[in-house]
Amino acid sequence: MMDVGRICVKTAGREAGKICCIVKKIDAQFVEVTGPAMLTEVKRRKCNIHHLEPLPEHVKIAASATDEDVAKAMESAGLFQKFRLKMPTAEELKQKAARKEERAKASVAKAAEAKKHKEAAAAEAKKKDAEKKAETKKEAKPKAPAVKKAKAEAKTEAPAVTEEKK
Amino acid sequence: MPRPALRSRSLARKKVRLPSGTMTTHYSRRRPKQAHCGACGALLAGIPRVRPSDMARIPKSQKHPTRMYGGALCPACTKETIKSQFFKGSL
Repeated sequence: MMDVGRICVKTAGREAGKICCIVKKIDAQFVEVTGPAMLTEVKRRKCNIHHLEPLPEHVKIAASATDEDVAKAMESAGLFQKFRLKMPTAEELKQKAARKEERAKASVAKAAEAKKHKEAAAAEAKKKDAEKKAETKKEAKPKAPAVKKAKAEAKTEAPAVTEEKK
Repeated sequence: MPRPALRSRSLARKKVRLPSGTMTTHYSRRRPKQAHCGACGALLAGIPRVRPSDMARIPKSQKHPTRMYGGALCPACTKETIKSQFFKGSL
């Protein structure tokens, strides 16, 4: 049943309910499947046979055929009318590619901006830390000599006491 | 006798021993039961057993699986539904 060229419906996953064509048998559980993506929204990927429902339709293609070959074979077998598929025109493909590029550019720009913000925030945090440290150092410096003085006084007192005891 | 508001049988009772040694009863609202498949009645996974007020606070993605009919049908029934919808032509 699950041989190269078999038309199936995907019954699980994000592409559930869409038509696909088996392109390669990987092993007892897995096959490689493709929409083709331009006709049905099924990308070329590995699929578990339990997530496919085979249809009585079968298409003559070579193993690991390209998406275009599969689409041609489906058209000649009359499946476009049967499943109400439509081959996108060159214009539509161009528009899709352009939109994809735009989105990719926008996401790259967004990531760059986010990085900038992060670096700026980190720099500010570092500044604040440095300022805090400088302040604490200033507070500590006047204390230190006072502590030393107290220690020195204590030392001078102690020998005086011992001398008295003697 | 507990005060009238606490006599309702819809409250869950739990016996608690206090540090002083005495036993008291703690009252709490009962949790809802686990969700079931709308078609076959099997238990559904991924839906927390939590009171409606808490459900409203949880984010949507933590309340049901991100699958077709997630939270409504079990995976087996979902598959059958997808198949039957495809062959009927209503997909």
